[in-house]
Amino acid sequence: MESAQFPWLTAILLLPLVAALPIPLIPDKEGKTIRWYALGVGLIDFALMIYAFGSQYLLQSADVQMSETYNWLPQIGVSWSLAVDGLSMPLVLLTGLVTTLAMLAAWNTTEKPKLLFGLMLLMYSAQTAVFMAQDLLMFFLVWELELVPVYLLISIWGGPKRLYASTKFILYTAIASIFILVAALSMAFYGVEPGQAVTFDMQALGMKDYPMGLEMLLYAGFLVAFGTKLSVFPLHTWLPDAHGEASAPGSMLLAGILLKMGGYGLLRFNVEMLPEAHIKFAPILAILGVVNIVYGALSAFAQDNLKRRIAYSSISHMGFVLLGIAAYNSLGLSGAMLQMVSHGLIAAALFFLSGVAYERTHTLKMEKMSGLAKQMPIAFALFTAASMASLALPGMSGFVSELAIFLGFATDTAYSYGFRVVVVFLAAVGLVLTPMYMLSMLRRVFYGDLKLKLDGFDASPREIFIALCLLVPVIGIGVYPKLATNLHDVKTEALATRVQAELPAFAQKQQGTLFSQQLTAPTLAEADFARID
Amino acid sequence: MEAIYEYAWLIPVFPLLGAALVGIGLISFNQATNRLRQANAVLILTLMGAAAVFSFALLSSQIQGHEPFVRTFEWAAAGDFRLTMGYTVDHLTTLMLAVVTTVAILVMIYTDGYMAHEKSYARFYAYLSLFSASMLGLVISPNLVQVYIFWELVGMCSYLLIGFWYDRKGAADACQKAFVTNRVGDFGLLLGMLGLYWATGSFEFDIMGERLETLVSSGSLSAGLAVLFAILVFLGPVAKSAQFPLHVWLPDAMEGPTPISALIHAATMVAAGVFLVARMFPVFEQLPTVMNVIAWTGGVTAFLGATIAITQNDIKKGLAYSTMSQLGYMVMAMGVGAYTAGLFHLMTHAYFKAMLFLGSGSVIHGMEEVVGHDPTLAQDMRLMGNLRKYMPITAITFLIGTLAICGIPPFAGFWSKDEILSLTFQANPILWLIGYITAGMTAFYMFRMYFMTFEGEFRGKDAEIKGVLKAEAAGVYAFGPGAMHAQELGTHQDHDDHHHADTPHESPLTMTFPLMALAVPSMLIGLLGMPWANRFEAFIHAPGEIIEEAHGAFDWGEFLIAGGSSVGIGLLGITLASLMYARKSINPAAIAKKIEPLYWLSRNKWYLDDINYKVFVQGSRRIARQVLEVDSKVVDGIVNLTGFVTLVTGEGLKYFENGRAQFYALIVFGAVLGLVVVFGVT
Repeated sequence: MESAQFPWLTAILLLPLVAALPIPLIPDKEGKTIRWYALGVGLIDFALMIYAFGSQYLLQSADVQMSETYNWLPQIGVSWSLAVDGLSMPLVLLTGLVTTLAMLAAWNTTEKPKLLFGLMLLMYSAQTAVFMAQDLLMFFLVWELELVPVYLLISIWGGPKRLYASTKFILYTAIASIFILVAALSMAFYGVEPGQAVTFDMQALGMKDYPMGLEMLLYAGFLVAFGTKLSVFPLHTWLPDAHGEASAPGSMLLAGILLKMGGYGLLRFNVEMLPEAHIKFAPILAILGVVNIVYGALSAFAQDNLKRRIAYSSISHMGFVLLGIAAYNSLGLSGAMLQMVSHGLIAAALFFLSGVAYERTHTLKMEKMSGLAKQMPIAFALFTAASMASLALPGMSGFVSELAIFLGFATDTAYSYGFRVVVVFLAAVGLVLTPMYMLSMLRRVFYGDLKLKLDGFDASPREIFIALCLLVPVIGIGVYPKLATNLHDVKTEALATRVQAELPAFAQKQQGTLFSQQLTAPTLAEADFARID
Repeated sequence: MEAIYEYAWLIPVFPLLGAALVGIGLISFNQATNRLRQANAVLILTLMGAAAVFSFALLSSQIQGHEPFVRTFEWAAAGDFRLTMGYTVDHLTTLMLAVVTTVAILVMIYTDGYMAHEKSYARFYAYLSLFSASMLGLVISPNLVQVYIFWELVGMCSYLLIGFWYDRKGAADACQKAFVTNRVGDFGLLLGMLGLYWATGSFEFDIMGERLETLVSSGSLSAGLAVLFAILVFLGPVAKSAQFPLHVWLPDAMEGPTPISALIHAATMVAAGVFLVARMFPVFEQLPTVMNVIAWTGGVTAFLGATIAITQNDIKKGLAYSTMSQLGYMVMAMGVGAYTAGLFHLMTHAYFKAMLFLGSGSVIHGMEEVVGHDPTLAQDMRLMGNLRKYMPITAITFLIGTLAICGIPPFAGFWSKDEILSLTFQANPILWLIGYITAGMTAFYMFRMYFMTFEGEFRGKDAEIKGVLKAEAAGVYAFGPGAMHAQELGTHQDHDDHHHADTPHESPLTMTFPLMALAVPSMLIGLLGMPWANRFEAFIHAPGEIIEEAHGAFDWGEFLIAGGSSVGIGLLGITLASLMYARKSINPAAIAKKIEPLYWLSRNKWYLDDINYKVFVQGSRRIARQVLEVDSKVVDGIVNLTGFVTLVTGEGLKYFENGRAQFYALIVFGAVLGLVVVFGVT
């Protein structure tokens, strides 16, 4: 078979799923074989992604690429339609990396290892499917499919309040996803003449013109669904429970990838498919973003539980994604995209390392853990690096994305001057709050005198490896952002153009600085003079 | 000659490489790397030496009149937005490069002696090298964004180094305080940067200045906004250079090892604020309001620092407040437009203050042999005395540094401080008066420090004083932000039992050599800036300013009056100090009694730390707790809806606890699938 026709995306999607099927048959009680098997599958799939994107994906094109469409369930009009573009490709790669590392992080699980690794492989498939699906119903199906393993991951391997947390999680997200379904159906059935075939193809649905009222409704529906996933205030309260109670590998997946599904959904559906409504809703997104940033940071600061503190920090960081999406220019959108990738890496690292600490201390209460640095200097160094990344230290990816979002929003002439000042000012308050809760977390956990008797030693080579796999890209992107922005730039720019096309004419200038606006005036005048002469 | 410019980017890369190599070694082969000990130091010192050679080559090339050199590349882009990074080599850069590399190398040599018994010797060198790389990156930055990047990185290194002894509670509190306070400044810097970019569309210093001028003069940008942006940017230097009211972190930062105090918190990083003001000069100088704010901030800080330094008994804290005061001078100079004088003082101060700090480190090192590794004892001057007898090199170099900072000719501080004062006098006599009084106080507290430490009787074995100090430490700390518990104080003594000699000894050569080396510039470097032959001014002057060739018009009379008066007040301070602390003909305690409120005001640092703690630290904690309360009670409650809550907690949970929770998930999934089918078919 020629590589051009080989269905790469389908292969990437199905490999973990198919590989998960024979797991119950593998004779292995303790999970020693299973973990190698699962890790191998994860690595092969990740390698497949890199190879497929490396050889097939065109960076300079903003269109969806590598499309593969097959009839799947023709009775209900669902087709197996996969493709990637600048919005999804980086997130697919992120999924491959973080899920594989999460499996490595779950290495020493002794409780039901078969089920655990099977579920992780299932999640692997479901997550990539969410990012690659091009058919709205298929998107909805895989979106729901992915909830099941997450639910089980929390409820079986979670902390003491795991049942409460997992139930809350499933109720929130399942109810929220009904909005996706309703919106999807109304998009598909709107304006279909009798006898005409109904299509759920996202490209086609995006082309349709909806009446303004309907578009606003659709937008609101998607916003509720994806906002819940992205933990937008006030729909965020499931997140601290779910992220706080899940085991470390579970939290890695939740914070590393699942949160990003919300952001991806917002970009894919709300911004790309409903740009007219987006213009109307964007100021609300900006306000919600600022609320998320400040509110999440303050709540994090008051938390005494290590993982809940990190969970609230995720809420705060997702506020920046909202703020970036709310900017009508490519700088803001690109920043939002980068913030998702960056946070996926950093939050996964933080949750993983908190798991490393938990394995030694058997507690997540910060007042009980103190002085860990004395016995775990390497874990301390890695934790410090991850915390620095989280508080947007320059040289690390979080800084680049937050700077881009700030610049994008501040120079966005579509917003009134006062609105921008207030939003940017409040968002910048988040910059002061972040080190307050991050560093006090470090201080309380690692500094001072050791109070506990630790169960185990410093980070093992496996643990160091996992943390470095997450931190090295963070630093790489921070030092040279184009490593990551190149993957999505063309797409976010096209997206920005599409949004701007809907803007009233007077505000169509992309990045307006006072000086550039002033420049245009004198040049015109000079040209006039030339004509008179 | 071009080649060294092409490769000038290597200057920060060399130390970065050193830090990276040792850092990777520590993460992956921890024990082996730690066992190598001095091999790490040699590697890092060699790379730092290479950077220094490079820097001096550039400096000499610039002195010979080479054109400034800028090289940039595109770092980030989105839409029509382009952000470039790169490096620039001009007079100011090369000056800073030379200062930073010399001090860094000497501090690194010193560290070998000072940290000889330290378990984390290699880690300390890695941090030092990382800091040097960030600082060098900062000074070669061609635009404001890059300055911001390295600005935060030096802050991070400072955080790591203050918290180097992470098992000490004081260090843990201090490093967090330093970072957060600096973030408050950076918050302003970022907002100002965004504002200036919004207005001018550029991050380049001179373009920003130029365009801002056009915008303000044409009326498209109100002057008020321009002033606001500039003051926001200035908040960055206020925090980094420990200016009032964001100075509170600097004295606490003395919890870090002394070499750090010398390198970061005296010579280089804290001066970065002054450097940024110099870089932003094209923007600031056209806004008189901003210049006034800068000048007054500097003046107030200089005065405040000096008044607090007078009553400090901890030798490092005293030096820290002195640093703050001297930084105030530099900022004030910048504010009154004395660009050259401010940077000149930056350079001279870097040398003599680094030497003073290293000297204090040598003293502490010596004292630890007698009183043990307890900072409350080893750093307290009330236990010192007569150290000149035991530590002659330290004493002489410390005296040189003291004379330099007091402004006694021909030592370095005289020339730079005198220049600042005489230029301030022309600009604003009130500020001059503040600076002048501060100069007197400086002489007083520095000689108080010198006499208490090096003259008189050695008091290190005095159990009574020790008892007082310990009680004081416990009491004072209980109120302050770094509240220590009695048992934590106790833990420090556990490992102290291996002492003690009866008298301190002179430090090893690795420590005294840097002191002697720094004594040379402390004595001589001021001669570069003699007002009648000001070589320094010919090299460093404000952008756009033209220096007249004809220095023949130098007014000796004016110089003698100005110089004479500042020497005069210096001598007055010295005399007072010697009467009180050397001759003991005046009893300081009696004076303190007479002006008790003032004494306690100074002793308690104007209560600024307490206000800071009560208002900001506790305030933010309270707000955070309230928000969380709202989150768990109100938001969570409403969204959950009462119905759901009863369902989940009551009937529902019973059902889930049967272990059939998994089943529920499948039901949800199945129901959704069913819905899809139903909708799809109809």
